[in-house]
Amino acid sequence: MTRSRALSPQARTVLATLLDAAGGWRHGYDLARAARVKSGTLYPLLIRLEAQGYLEAEWQPPEPGRPPRHAYRLTVRGVRFARDNPPAPAPGAIGRAVTA
Amino acid sequence: MTGGLRRRLATCAVRAAGRLLPAPLAGWGRALRHEVEAIDDDAEALGFALGGLRGALMQAMAFHLSGRSIEMSVWEALRRPSVVGLACAIGASGLGLAYLTMAGAPARYLAVNAGALLIGLLVYAVLGRARRLPGSVMLALGGVLLATALFGDTQAGAARWLMVGPLFVQPSLILLPMMIVGFARTRTALATAGMIVAALALALQPDRAMAGVLVAGLGALATFRRDRATSAALAAAVAAFAAALAQPDTLPAVAHVDQILYRAFDIDLVAGLAVVGGSALLIVPALAGRRDDGRQDARAAFGALWLAMVAAAALGNYPTPLVGYGGSAVIGYLLSIAVLRRPRGESATVAITEFAPATADDAREKLPTGLYSAA
Repeated sequence: MTRSRALSPQARTVLATLLDAAGGWRHGYDLARAARVKSGTLYPLLIRLEAQGYLEAEWQPPEPGRPPRHAYRLTVRGVRFARDNPPAPAPGAIGRAVTA
Repeated sequence: MTGGLRRRLATCAVRAAGRLLPAPLAGWGRALRHEVEAIDDDAEALGFALGGLRGALMQAMAFHLSGRSIEMSVWEALRRPSVVGLACAIGASGLGLAYLTMAGAPARYLAVNAGALLIGLLVYAVLGRARRLPGSVMLALGGVLLATALFGDTQAGAARWLMVGPLFVQPSLILLPMMIVGFARTRTALATAGMIVAALALALQPDRAMAGVLVAGLGALATFRRDRATSAALAAAVAAFAAALAQPDTLPAVAHVDQILYRAFDIDLVAGLAVVGGSALLIVPALAGRRDDGRQDARAAFGALWLAMVAAAALGNYPTPLVGYGGSAVIGYLLSIAVLRRPRGESATVAITEFAPATADDAREKLPTGLYSAA
């Protein structure tokens, strides 16, 4: 059973960042940088979004000399969810950074 | 800090994070580890890894404290010594931080106690459900205490401390509670030898308080089982206590460490209640658990040893555990709670199902995607 909670500003920002990717896959590190959230916030959030069906993830094959990486993108449901929950418009520097 | 050291620390952090995460989320630990490996800048990698470790710690705490099973009632959770023990450790440490603040202790003291709590929780989580402490480990721990007596830092004729960086650490506060509780289930010849070596170390240091703690803990065990191993260890402890009492103990009281049980009331009533309440919390895990779970002896030893430590702090210039300044007792308390847990492989009286908190059904549905089933 999925527990419904109010979305945090960080969750809205991460959703907006994933929405900006327009269906493309994003990695954890560049997602954290783009959304300006710490990894300690990002990964629990990704776990929750994935478990709720808003996010899908895949292991991408390694490039030469690099490890395989976990990548993320919104599901169709997640796209709707992200559009319904945009970052707070007002003073948020984070929000401007994402939507600029 | 060099780049190589940062990279090694980052690697350690993500490995710890991977071990902390409950099994259904293990794939996320692997994802974090590979992501950190992909970051070229060592400082960035370390920052990302430490953040991930913090997130994993919170996930693990949520899992262990509340999310392990939604079928398990609150009452059943409250009857588990490990759950109660964690709550008491956090509660007593929190009350101690409140007291230190009210007493005007230096900020560094608060940071040390808070840091020790985090380290203790991390060690508790990483240890997982420890199997029985092997006799060889018990003997090695006794050896550490003996080495402290022989080569440790000496003050006013007492050799009880080791210097770890800028901090004094008291190994007996860290190791002895774990050894006493561990001895409840490991009574091999090596384990008994470890307890006797520990007793010898406390006589040599000398440390009346910890020798008394050893007598109290082993005495409580002896009321449940009168076997040769317990009798031998208890006899050694009594002899060590007598030897420690026979030697002078001229250590002066240290501010914010000793004599705070009654001096706290000189500050105000709230400070006094924080210290007394925090000290009382230390004993509570001994009262948790089922009467018929076969762990009564370990719980009795746990309660007796921490009660003796509080009594020693009330009677003499000895550290007041958890509520006073000093990280050793904080870590020692959490280690003793870890050993108090039911070891892996022992039958449980409470049915426990493993799943991620709050989203168990979703998590199970997602298993085929590979997200939760990393190698």
